[in-house]
Amino acid sequence: MRPAIEVKGLQKKYKDQVVLEEVSLGVKPGEVYALTGPNGAGKTTLIRCMTGLAFPTGGEVTILGRDVHTDGPRARANLGAVVEAPAKFYPQFTGSQNLSMHAQLAAMAPGPGGSGGKPKRVSRDRVREVLALLELTRMAERPVGQYSLGQRQRLGVAAAILAEPKVLILDEPTSGLDPLGIGLIHRIVTGLATSGCAVILSTHHLREIATYAHTVGILTGGRMVDSVDLRARQAAYRFRVDDPLGAVQTLSALPFVKKASARTPYAIAHIGGEARVPDALAHLSAAGIRVFEASPDHFDLYEYYRERVEQH
Amino acid sequence: MLTLIMLEFRKLFGARSARLAALICVLLPWIWPLAPRLKAVYNLVIVSGWQVPTLSLITITQFLLPLLVALTCAEMIGTEISQGTLAPLILRPINRSRIIVAKLITALIYPALLLAILFLASLVAGLRFGFGDFSGGTGLGPGLFVGVGQLSSSEAFGQVLRSFLLDALALMPIAALSLLYAVAFLNTAAAALATLATIQIMNMLVVFPEALQKILITTYLDLYSRQGDLTQPIILMVIYTVGFSLLAVFAFEKRDL
Repeated sequence: MRPAIEVKGLQKKYKDQVVLEEVSLGVKPGEVYALTGPNGAGKTTLIRCMTGLAFPTGGEVTILGRDVHTDGPRARANLGAVVEAPAKFYPQFTGSQNLSMHAQLAAMAPGPGGSGGKPKRVSRDRVREVLALLELTRMAERPVGQYSLGQRQRLGVAAAILAEPKVLILDEPTSGLDPLGIGLIHRIVTGLATSGCAVILSTHHLREIATYAHTVGILTGGRMVDSVDLRARQAAYRFRVDDPLGAVQTLSALPFVKKASARTPYAIAHIGGEARVPDALAHLSAAGIRVFEASPDHFDLYEYYRERVEQH
Repeated sequence: MLTLIMLEFRKLFGARSARLAALICVLLPWIWPLAPRLKAVYNLVIVSGWQVPTLSLITITQFLLPLLVALTCAEMIGTEISQGTLAPLILRPINRSRIIVAKLITALIYPALLLAILFLASLVAGLRFGFGDFSGGTGLGPGLFVGVGQLSSSEAFGQVLRSFLLDALALMPIAALSLLYAVAFLNTAAAALATLATIQIMNMLVVFPEALQKILITTYLDLYSRQGDLTQPIILMVIYTVGFSLLAVFAFEKRDL
């Protein structure tokens, strides 16, 4: 499947300072891509380049095949983004007025849109719908100046999803939110991804995103040092056995096992899902291997991240 | 495009500097009808309501109005940067050039708006002197305030309107310059300061050859009071306005935000 957003060899220099160096990534429709890295790694610059706010020194960014920097309006017709935390709005206007203004601007997209269709008109009902979705109906007619940090952040997400984008980019979307607000954003992001939207979010909350991101990109020193496919990692199960090496040999021979390795006292196997666990246990037992425990082998993203960042 | 221009005007009317400027334009004309020492200081006695707009225009144009225009136009970008509201605007599927052109149009109309407020407030302030035919001058035509005999109210209105329109034109390059500096510095204070410094430096260039003075904006800040053929200064003002505007559009198109 072709990526909805693709970054190729992106470079950004400020005078002699290299901020981004040959950064490449691609996010497919329905994928949630989490961008992480230490402070000053270049995440914000990367997001600014991806959204067309900043111009790269080299490389290119395309959204649904359209270059963000040379064909900006058409590329951004499919983009929803919050590039600052908390999201910024005109404080003198109400939340509803701010969103209506965004709706009017979204309707100014040059036709045909990036997907080949006409630019969408965003109705008042849609404005009300996103306000309700982000639990802001009660605050809708109040000036944004009176909003709390978390309410502004939620309004930012409301503005980003207003025109039903095919690519959503969020910088620290859960910053300043309470646990319920964080849960709400997770549900919205997951829901959008399920409906085919490609989502990129930058975050420091690794354990939080490990539960719903599909891929994690680790950016440090302006370079993308790793890209972790969490789906592959989370399909692994571990078996505490009396003979880990023998268990690995047995498991490797099974057709549904993609990969098996030993981590004494465990044998780790990528078996493709929970339904295969009884089969794996039966085969281990048949091979004379005693199994004391079987459980999902949770990938510790935080530990992995720490190791990767320390290496660079 | 109209949506963007309307949005810019909504923001303009909400800007503190614009409200303050409007308040100044409303209050300033009241100084003259109420000034007890006008004759002692300026040897002037107001004989017609048509003279009040002139007095207001003369006092506000040389310094205060360029200052107010420079500040508000700089704020049109500077405040958006400090509030962080420019980025969400640019993230929408609109050409950057349309955004800056909408701001330019608003900035270029802004001096005319202030002058319209000043004009209306001056008319209200001059009501007690009447607006009929009178013997004397508006201060903006032949013979200045003394005049050259009887002046009809329609002639007086024509002279005052012409001067206000010329002044609005003379302030356009300043508005465009301020917006250009705002795009360059992305900061209200720096842009306003740079605009005022440019005006002051141009004012100082009176000591340079006359040929240079002829092409300076500041030479024509008194355009409203000039008589005769004004084609050359008007063309120059338009060239400056268009030039600064194009530079602002070009700079904004390629600016990291």
